[in-house]
Amino acid sequence: MRYFLILTLMALTMAAHPASAGFMDTLQNLANPDSKEGKLLSGATQVLSSSREIDYKTERTIGESLALEGMQRFGIPVKNEPLQQYLNLVGNAVAANSRRAKIPYQFAVLDSNVQNAFAVPGGVIFVSRALVSILSDESELAAVLAHEVGHVSAKHALKSTQRAQFFEGVGTITAASVRGDKGKKFASAIGDMQTVLFDKGLDKEMEFEADLAAMETTYRTGYDPSALIRVLEKLQQLEATSKDKKGSWFSTHPPLSERISRLRTELRKYPDYGTLASVHERFVKRAKLK
Amino acid sequence: MKTTQRIVLLLALLLMTTAAMAEEKRWVSSEGTTLKSEASATSENVADVVVGTEVTVVESGGRWVKVRTAAGKEGWLYAGRISETPPAGEVSGDGGLFGESMQKSQINTAKADSARSIRGLSPETTQYAKDRGTSELVKKSLDTVLLRKVSPKELKAFLQEGKIGEYAQAQGGKK
Repeated sequence: MRYFLILTLMALTMAAHPASAGFMDTLQNLANPDSKEGKLLSGATQVLSSSREIDYKTERTIGESLALEGMQRFGIPVKNEPLQQYLNLVGNAVAANSRRAKIPYQFAVLDSNVQNAFAVPGGVIFVSRALVSILSDESELAAVLAHEVGHVSAKHALKSTQRAQFFEGVGTITAASVRGDKGKKFASAIGDMQTVLFDKGLDKEMEFEADLAAMETTYRTGYDPSALIRVLEKLQQLEATSKDKKGSWFSTHPPLSERISRLRTELRKYPDYGTLASVHERFVKRAKLK
Repeated sequence: MKTTQRIVLLLALLLMTTAAMAEEKRWVSSEGTTLKSEASATSENVADVVVGTEVTVVESGGRWVKVRTAAGKEGWLYAGRISETPPAGEVSGDGGLFGESMQKSQINTAKADSARSIRGLSPETTQYAKDRGTSELVKKSLDTVLLRKVSPKELKAFLQEGKIGEYAQAQGGKK
């Protein structure tokens, strides 16, 4: 009887002051950027919270739309099927060992003379003809692709725009939500993301994060993880002599010297790096650019 | 007597803790992972293990780790295919603010699996392209990119040919 009384009292107290529910509400409000609690958080957190609810199908639609815009800007894929197939083999090899191994990835070499690579949400990754042309072996190509896979797996592009909140309200994007008034909002959100991806560049910390992820992913796959450092050093040399840096991997990323120095520190985690594969011959044979 | 009992209890606890600490856990983190009978990619397949499978370390041998699954199967895994922490569930990849329930992450993983069947330009992107007046050439080019596919078999053969990762030692490559 005493226990019953205590239980009843507890139940009554909880009904009057749903302490646990209140706690949950606060937690949920933190994720809602328009709430008082949400406004206390930084802008970055607001963006993060908005990307949480985007499902894969929607992410993919956003990515495909951005891929169309990217091709308009940088050019369409080079017409060299063996090369494109080779790129997809190297790309999928690293993607399988990435932190987001369960989504499909597609890769393409774009006919562009600017040294660049970019990834759109959902797993479509582009690398320019000019960037491939300065690489010396497969591990270097794997490093570039793994860096881009790193952006996809951490959903960096989605987290980079306040407008991404638009997608949150939409839930799953349907053909109807890219038409009419909603369509205008969709297009403007895509426009925002284009500016980030192609002009301003992603947040500096996101680039470092993708660099570290690339090192881990290439190492897990069995490629020499120091390859990324070699690629960045090549770009550094080019940067010193290049007049037009617009849209290149070195203009849209943090200073190369900083990235290289962080990666050199990170490389200490992989003392056996020198014994891993770099695959020079096959690269020379199969990454031929006409 | 009481003291003896206490000591026995303490010893038992200590033993249990040591045993628990010796039971090192790892998680399968790569797609297309197969448990092998020996520490070599050319040895026999024991079982296919999916991403997220929890395994117990039995023995470590450089780049290969001998493990036991919950189902009691023992075999070797290439070290690059496992990690010390469970891989994030699909969609909860950003970690969220407070993590996600297992159930939700499993549902989301299933969603991502069904997403694998997405091929070619989606109807939504087609609509977007129409509204933006995107050229047929660009639209078709992206469609071709999206249709490109690499099978697990092709990938395995590719790694084997390049003597990469688990195929490095088996092929007598650099160790």
